[in-house]
Amino acid sequence: MSFLSLVVKNPFRNKTRSSLAIIGIAIGIMVIIALGMVTGGLKASAQSTLKAGAAEISVVQTGSGDFGGGRINESRIADVQKINGVKDAAGTLRATNTSITVQSIVPSPSSGGSFGFSVTGIDRNKLSLAGVDSVNGALYSDGSANEVILGKTAAEELQKNVGDTIVLFGKDFTITGIYETGNFITDGGAFMSLTTLQNLTNNANQVSSIAVKVNENANVTQVSNTIQNTYPNELSTTSAASMANRMNNALSTIDMASWAISILAIVIGGVGVVNTMIMSVYERTREIGVLKAVGWKDRRILSMILGESVVLTLISAVMGTVVAVVGVVILLSVSSIGGVITPSYSPDIFLRAFAVAFAVGIIGGLYPAYRASRLSPTEALRYE
Amino acid sequence: MNNNIIEIRNLKKSYDNGKIKALNGIDLDIKKGEFVSIMGPSGSGKSTLLNMIGALDVAGEGFIKVAGIDLTKTSKLNEFRSKEIGFVFQMHNLIPNLTVLENVEIPLYEANLSSEEMRKRALELLKSVNLEDKINQTPTKLSGGERQRVAIARALVNHPSIILADEPTGSLDSKTGDMILKLMRDLHQQKNVTLVMVTHEPYVGNLADRIINVLDGKIIKLN
Repeated sequence: MSFLSLVVKNPFRNKTRSSLAIIGIAIGIMVIIALGMVTGGLKASAQSTLKAGAAEISVVQTGSGDFGGGRINESRIADVQKINGVKDAAGTLRATNTSITVQSIVPSPSSGGSFGFSVTGIDRNKLSLAGVDSVNGALYSDGSANEVILGKTAAEELQKNVGDTIVLFGKDFTITGIYETGNFITDGGAFMSLTTLQNLTNNANQVSSIAVKVNENANVTQVSNTIQNTYPNELSTTSAASMANRMNNALSTIDMASWAISILAIVIGGVGVVNTMIMSVYERTREIGVLKAVGWKDRRILSMILGESVVLTLISAVMGTVVAVVGVVILLSVSSIGGVITPSYSPDIFLRAFAVAFAVGIIGGLYPAYRASRLSPTEALRYE
Repeated sequence: MNNNIIEIRNLKKSYDNGKIKALNGIDLDIKKGEFVSIMGPSGSGKSTLLNMIGALDVAGEGFIKVAGIDLTKTSKLNEFRSKEIGFVFQMHNLIPNLTVLENVEIPLYEANLSSEEMRKRALELLKSVNLEDKINQTPTKLSGGERQRVAIARALVNHPSIILADEPTGSLDSKTGDMILKLMRDLHQQKNVTLVMVTHEPYVGNLADRIINVLDGKIIKLN
């Protein structure tokens, strides 16, 4: 039998104790991976708001917040377009259709913060400013009163395909295309012609925000400030970068919290490993004396105990990974946030978890292994 | 030519800051291939002397040379034990979760042999103690005599020049004990290995070529 086989075989002498130690560490690893997959997914979505081609600045009515509760007169679109540094501008009207429930995290301004299905009206030629670059199917026709394109998440939730009909604001609409931007907010809604939505929601000549794309050589902050200074007390601006930063800051907080939970879980699991290995060394004192008597070097005894400790934690890592991946997938498929988060399977998350497991194995096994390697053979052989 | 495999001069060992004198000036020579019994009452120092010869413990004073190695000077005691010594204890001290074959392979890990070579050597020894049909069993399923035979195979597997046995029949009934003694004596003769056995039973001691009586850490009689 090879030395490696011996090291793998030894931890399972006391199956109950080893299993408990494995479960302890596996919970820690599971937390690291599950939180990593979820926050990684959210981060990827936040990053997609900064995609090339989309508007860098969102102009809203001063005091209305970021979700388009306020109204701006359509004539301001042309005014904003004239500002130095602005490449393109598009008016968008956002409304919430409460008769359809789609699992979206976009709060509806009209329903007091409850979740609703967000519909945005925008000129079909300006869809790229909203981040929609390509559509599976076709765009709605210019000025069409009964055509709509649906986000991928919304289509999945509502089980709709191109050509199907959807009732919005009490009217039948044909789905001409399905788009995917990678942004969980945008992909959970729908786009239609601006005029159609204005008519349906009694918002003639009104938009809720203006999406602004700046020239390549222009400074986004400068253009943003110019818009606000030109129309003080009327227009406010938010840049996509600052929104993404805010989201990233929130995610960093989640990240820190997940690390804190992970560290706590690992410390608890690590103590379990130390306890398991110390108990194992105590119970095997005579055996270690025999190993020394037959000529085993201290280094080999140290490697054996450390190896056993690492075997325990690596098994925990495999178990924790499987449970985390299966758990996250199941949770997202049955819970309300499933539609808006695509879990991340970045190798970094798994490498980090396995590195943590390996480190816990080494650190947890170090003292018991050192103690075993330093035992005096005669004292070890006399141990009762 | 000096044919001594063990040479001991004025060997002293004390414990508890010198309060307990386990060995108090031992002088002893043992020839290569000899079968020697060390006898004496409990606490006489016979096991301490055996441990000194096997380099499980270090000398306090004096000189001890085993298989040509001065044990008071070498720092490679593990290597010495691995190459030159085979131990048989009163309690078999087998590893319970390993099979009979794996237990016998244990001393070979320091010999840098392949797994196949380790298995071959262990099987060879298990055949010589008539346990080839039990190689895949764990020690818990063996009788006391069978366990001690496994321990003897383990002691011989690294081809040592000396077997040190500490009361090898102490935990066995007399019939099984006799069988183990016969086996040890036969193997000692077949393999021309020096056998040093600690015992307090006269009939066991009398099987040896020579008896060394120890009392209060000193040799009182050499037969």
